[in-house]
Amino acid sequence: MEESEARTAREEWGSRFGFLMAMLGAMVGAGNIWRMPFTTGQNGGGTFLVIYVLLLYLIAIPGLMAETMIGRYTNNGVIGTFRELLGGGTGRGLGLVVLIVNVALMSYYAPIIGWALYYAGHSLLLTFTQAGFQPQAFWDGFISSPMLVIGMHTLTMAGLAGVLVFGIRRGIERVVKWMIPLLVVALIAVGVRGITLPGGMDGLAFIFTPDWTYLTRGSTWVAALGQALFSTGLGWGIALTYGSYLGRYDDVPLGGGLFTAVGNTSIGLLAVFATFPVVFAFGLEPSAGSNLLFISLAEVFPQLPGGWMWAIVFFVSFFFATFTSGLGITEVGVTTVSEETRLSRTGSVLAICGAIWLFGLPSAYSSSFLGQMDFMFGTFGLPLATLSIIALVAWKLGPERARVIELNRCAGIYVGQWWNPVVKYVIPVVVVFIIGYGVVSSIGTENQTLMILGVALMAALVVGSTVAMGVVENAARTPTSEGGE
Amino acid sequence: MALSAVAWATMLFAIVVLPGVATVVLVRSLRTEERKLTLIREQGSIDSYSPRALEELREWIHANPNDPYASEARERYNECVQTLRESDEPYYDWSADQIETLETIEE
Repeated sequence: MEESEARTAREEWGSRFGFLMAMLGAMVGAGNIWRMPFTTGQNGGGTFLVIYVLLLYLIAIPGLMAETMIGRYTNNGVIGTFRELLGGGTGRGLGLVVLIVNVALMSYYAPIIGWALYYAGHSLLLTFTQAGFQPQAFWDGFISSPMLVIGMHTLTMAGLAGVLVFGIRRGIERVVKWMIPLLVVALIAVGVRGITLPGGMDGLAFIFTPDWTYLTRGSTWVAALGQALFSTGLGWGIALTYGSYLGRYDDVPLGGGLFTAVGNTSIGLLAVFATFPVVFAFGLEPSAGSNLLFISLAEVFPQLPGGWMWAIVFFVSFFFATFTSGLGITEVGVTTVSEETRLSRTGSVLAICGAIWLFGLPSAYSSSFLGQMDFMFGTFGLPLATLSIIALVAWKLGPERARVIELNRCAGIYVGQWWNPVVKYVIPVVVVFIIGYGVVSSIGTENQTLMILGVALMAALVVGSTVAMGVVENAARTPTSEGGE
Repeated sequence: MALSAVAWATMLFAIVVLPGVATVVLVRSLRTEERKLTLIREQGSIDSYSPRALEELREWIHANPNDPYASEARERYNECVQTLRESDEPYYDWSADQIETLETIEE
């Protein structure tokens, strides 16, 4: 009886600030700190920003409202939510699809957190300011050492498990309440330092001077769509899971939708301020991607007065950004496993963290494998998960029904009827378009085989998950020999 | 290099619609939460729909009486009406006249 009571009592966020920081922390990750600056740089600077902001308000915010809302409505993890809304339908296997995609994404994201941890640790050891420090050799030495990379991956998963085992309020909330404010302060500090460097303003001129010729390029819109949809955390199952820990009087649209999406992008903008002035002041290549972070910036921070301090501020804050995302992504699996199995919270944390650690070993071992996983699951898996979650609201619950009954309940802002067509038509069409674009743009390139593999894998995942959920549910319904269920 | 006027305009636009909006939303969200908690402590519960949202809920219930979610919607509607009648201070911007005209919806 005691165990039953313990398992049915669902935790809630301890404070509004804790929930908002957890949402922000989960959505702000490597994609904001390194991808947003160079994606902006590659796609016409100010033009990209204008398009991106437009799409953020038009698509990402309504989408996040929908995902957070169904979490609060069902008070369940991903599989439980699909089961509750779809009843006995075969579509409930889509909940398993979301879970598997989430675990797969985390399996290659965890090694990246490990990279951030390694650099944060070395910034604290003042390695970057030691005489004779060679950033390229340092990076090569690290990434080509399986022992080191797997060691960091292991430490990362142990650290995540160490926080998650304490639950929502005493675990995640306690950590994000100080990590995220520190991240914001750190990025502002680095940004101010960068702008005041000789030549720093050139970086701002590059990023904020719109090149309007990019406005008519399809690639700019696709990049902005991808960034607006997926770097804001839509479709990962995080908003659904975190939303499921909201109380009945908690608001969804203002915090779960508007603040999460806009706050997330604001941190991306701060990352632009933190990196581009430095990049231009030191004559670095602005579209260098991850190299910009781990090689170029590691080279320039020590050249600044008090550079050791700036290196610590930047790399530790980058680690915070990735670690808090890791907490959010992993919690999706932990919540679901603890609800769907007989495992306790601790057992679920160990099971999910252990699985992610195991599946993450190939990505930790090989950057090339990590890239392939990113291509398959980032290009096809995440849109599939997003489509599954949005379809649940758009086509099963129904946007008008969801809006009047649940979304506007205790809401901090009123959401009007404009939300319905956005959720029902615009977001699904955009996601299908992104999947289609991923397929078409891969034809005839070196990624063609990987694309076919990715599409086949996702199709198999949908079929396999549906069959698996059907078998599990039937087995649960079959009376045992003792006569119970 | 000095920033051009259009670069300044783009930067200010980005700052206003991103960190500017995020800051305002954060402050508003925390303030409204504080008010909610105070009212819940004093009254035990708060009204869960704004006048506009409750009106839409009522219209939806009347338009979809046989919907599988209709009973849940009615329950929520009636609970909100009941709370508004019993509360000294509503959370949303309800006038006394508006509250007086509200009626629960029977199945």
